Amino acid sequence: MIQGAAGQLRSRPSRSGGGGARKLGYTLLYVVLIGVAVFQLFPLVWLLLFSLKNNQEVFDLPPLSLPMNPRWENYEKVWSAGNISVYFLNSVWITVAATVLTIMLGSLVTFAITRMKWKGSSFVLGLFMVAMMIPVHSTLIPLFSLFNKAGLTDHPVSLILSYVAFNMPITIMILLGFYYTLPREVEEAAVMDGCSVHRVFFRIVLPMTGSVLATTAIINMIYNWNEFIFVNTFISSDMFKTLTVGVQNFIGQYTTDWGAIGATLMISILPILLMFLFLSDRIVEGIAAGSVKG
Amino acid sequence: MDKVMSNKKVIALYVLPALLVIMAIVYIPIVLTAFYGLNEWNGIGAMTFIGLDNYQALLSDGKFWDSAWHSLLLAVFSALSLIVYLAVAMVLSSKIKGAGLFRKIYLIPMLLSSVAIAQLWLRMYHPTNGIVNSFLESIGITNPPAWLAEPSLVLYALFIPILWQYAGFYILIYYAALKNIPASLVEAAKIDGATSLQIAFRIKLPLIMEVIKVTIVLAVVGSLKYFDLIFVMTDGGPNGASEVMASYMYHTAFRAYDFGYGSAIGFFLLVICLLVTWVIRKLTATKDTIQYS
Amino acid sequence: MFNKKWTVLLLTLCLAVFAAGCGSGGGTEGAGGDKSSGSGEGEKVTVNFMHLWPAGVSAGQNKIVNQIIEDYQNENPNVTIKQEVLDNEQYKNKLKVLSASNELPDVGVTWAAGFLKPYVEGNLFAPVDDLLSGELNGKFVSGTTEAYAIDGKTYALPLEFNIAPVYYNKAIFEQYNLQVPQSYEEFKQIVKTLSDNGIAPIALGNKDRWTGSLWYMYLADRIGGQDTLASAISGDVSFKDESLVKAAAEIQSLVDGNAFVKGFNGLSNEEAKSEFLNGKAAMYMMGTWELPNFTTNEEIPQEFRDSVGFFKFPTVDGGKGDINSWVGGPGVGLFISEDSKVKEEAKKFVEYFVTKWGEQSVTGAGVIPATKVDTASLELPQLYIDLFNEMNQASSITLFADVQMEANAAETHLNMIQALFGKAVTPENFSDEHDKAVSKGK
Repeated sequence: MIQGAAGQLRSRPSRSGGGGARKLGYTLLYVVLIGVAVFQLFPLVWLLLFSLKNNQEVFDLPPLSLPMNPRWENYEKVWSAGNISVYFLNSVWITVAATVLTIMLGSLVTFAITRMKWKGSSFVLGLFMVAMMIPVHSTLIPLFSLFNKAGLTDHPVSLILSYVAFNMPITIMILLGFYYTLPREVEEAAVMDGCSVHRVFFRIVLPMTGSVLATTAIINMIYNWNEFIFVNTFISSDMFKTLTVGVQNFIGQYTTDWGAIGATLMISILPILLMFLFLSDRIVEGIAAGSVKG
Repeated sequence: MDKVMSNKKVIALYVLPALLVIMAIVYIPIVLTAFYGLNEWNGIGAMTFIGLDNYQALLSDGKFWDSAWHSLLLAVFSALSLIVYLAVAMVLSSKIKGAGLFRKIYLIPMLLSSVAIAQLWLRMYHPTNGIVNSFLESIGITNPPAWLAEPSLVLYALFIPILWQYAGFYILIYYAALKNIPASLVEAAKIDGATSLQIAFRIKLPLIMEVIKVTIVLAVVGSLKYFDLIFVMTDGGPNGASEVMASYMYHTAFRAYDFGYGSAIGFFLLVICLLVTWVIRKLTATKDTIQYS
Repeated sequence: MFNKKWTVLLLTLCLAVFAAGCGSGGGTEGAGGDKSSGSGEGEKVTVNFMHLWPAGVSAGQNKIVNQIIEDYQNENPNVTIKQEVLDNEQYKNKLKVLSASNELPDVGVTWAAGFLKPYVEGNLFAPVDDLLSGELNGKFVSGTTEAYAIDGKTYALPLEFNIAPVYYNKAIFEQYNLQVPQSYEEFKQIVKTLSDNGIAPIALGNKDRWTGSLWYMYLADRIGGQDTLASAISGDVSFKDESLVKAAAEIQSLVDGNAFVKGFNGLSNEEAKSEFLNGKAAMYMMGTWELPNFTTNEEIPQEFRDSVGFFKFPTVDGGKGDINSWVGGPGVGLFISEDSKVKEEAKKFVEYFVTKWGEQSVTGAGVIPATKVDTASLELPQLYIDLFNEMNQASSITLFADVQMEANAAETHLNMIQALFGKAVTPENFSDEHDKAVSKGK
């Protein structure tokens, strides 16, 4: 529906180039884009607003009214409760470690599957793809037993391994689509020149996938940052817990304080939001670089 | 060329680490789960082997098929919403002012954990205090429904935040794929006099077809095993109206202490996902894979 | 971009990690957490304690727990108590996963009756009768430890004891000239008056289902009498007993009369509670664990706290119930793992904990402990004193149905409650399904 409209709108400016219709088209297009943006942002604005209110204000004032005197103490209260800083650091390093590993291993596999010739490559690819369909909860109890036997429960390695394993399929799946579209001439020439496979991969192919890597990195980070059930099940020491568990323990079932919940949610979102804004420029650069080459 | 590119040692070095991890963390547990499904087990005491009884019971379990139907509905919704995402990505990837900003804004909900999204949307849908009903009342609709308490509405109400949550993800994937199309192809088409619409349908769409297929599978499979948001927002209620396969498995295993049966559901869910993926692959199969070169 | 060295390094790292994981699998050392075995005098001992009072959610309880642990460690320098804290729902999940792998903590929190049973049958919890006949003899309120007993042995020591009154907002009642109902007819009249005036009569968060169960239980108790209700739950009497079907039908007529807040089947108990706390609903039936919110909790406006009163669920004309019959029971209790390597130390700690908890929990967290409290020596808000008195003169206390039933039957009960309130089943079907579920578990 929107697609049709958008397509038509786009068709006018490029071909007919006429004045009024073109302007109208653009305006409509922007109305749609802005509409979607408002839809995407609006709940967060509301979240920000009620994180600065107390319960009376939340209940008695219209939802979008500004808080009369913003209650920053909601944030103070949340920040001072518990080990937020420890959780935060754990979240950061576990997220980064798992993401780097996943992307690295995923790239290697994707390269081997799309570029190298061997029997069973489609079978191996199938194994990775099928893994995507396995619901996390049905692996929980056996997985815990396995980690327990390996002495890895209550150890961050259990988290990193789980994140790598469960994010590997989607990472490979996304990479695969791009590897298929990459031109092969350069690497073929390189091999002719006597380059080793490692060199072809690390020096030629990997750099070409920069924009995809940024995309998969973001997706992996988001998943790892927000992951909850594994941390909760495998980790028991406070020193290894991550931010999501902290947030959950704060929100809990018994809290009725909307302001505090709002503040907690805001705190848990902000770091990943900043990281994303920072990284997303990298993506643009990556994409720009990629399109110049193409 | 072929000789270099089929070096067994290199292949093993590249593939084995990831393969080992996924075998140990994903496959061994799921095989164990399939085995638990052959037992009567409350998760605590001894297991009693009962063969295929659990799987047989599953086939005639009306509640399970209700939940399967709900999952299927979600999958269909998700697949359809891909059209919207694709359209937005197309617009963004054409040279339009502010595309970067829009793309960032669209992705923001994706950054939130499901717990956070659920908490937020619970408050959006609050029957008297939430922003949805406040808005409806302000435009003159008296007595708007309590979205999450109406069995006939709840599934649709739950789909909105799911749509919201994943918009950025798919738009990002489509956007990256579209940006990867060599500009020269599009320029050439323009010179030949193609309209934007023609470029979109004849050139861009076919070129990212592989990516689209991938996203269809992702969306459908993701929906079939969807759990988080529903678990927090409605817990499968009211009266099971939003129970999906994964939440039914969870309730059976972790609440009703029927771990054997819960495992059987979990394994069966995997089988259903495989079947559906196979069907999608068959339906979208094309013989000629398009390459740029 | 990554250069080669880094990648190789990472790869090696990953493989090493993985190999390490497999390697140590061989030389397993019972990873229950306590590396120190034995419990001889003076030897260092670690007792793992898993509970569900995170500082953010249950600040009062959390503080007491930490205080007790600190004191205990000071008195027993060789003992270290290692805590693991999870939120309620997550706690239940983790307990489940741990027990499937036989890795329970030395000491943990459990619920009574139906929840406890599979763990006892699986030989995971140690009997604590020796503690009961020892120093703790006679310290518990009668009827509390029984809920944790199976086949004559007790498997956990209760920490809380609760009953469920109907709280009401005096200010709203005054505004509409309403009196505390003496009979169910009067109660219905109150509901009608409030509803006619656009005030939600009752806050109910029936997404959680056990909340609606309270209402059904009281109606069943007042119409059919405590015996009938208790026997039905234990499977000795059919739920199709006329009085129980009538109780179910009465629920639906309350729903028809708009007695409950809008969208109650989609609201959690917390959300519903907010309605009551913010004066949007006039009544709220809940356990006495909510008392702090109506008395001492500074985050809730004084004005509101002062206007909260309670009444007993009124009797129904022609019903067999007694107004002093309550729904309630012990809340959580402490268990000791049967496989604990430090069982004796764990038992000592539990004994100490229960005693101290009894002394501190009322004043510190507003929790009514399962151990006897000398109300005269404590300065307590009036609401507490009144409810303590009610507990003392209770004619019977029926344990929450979902706690009493076995997990499977409890799930059916709870689902049926939601369906009954949502008018998705008839009272007859409702009773039928209960009979099936209860008899299956027998």
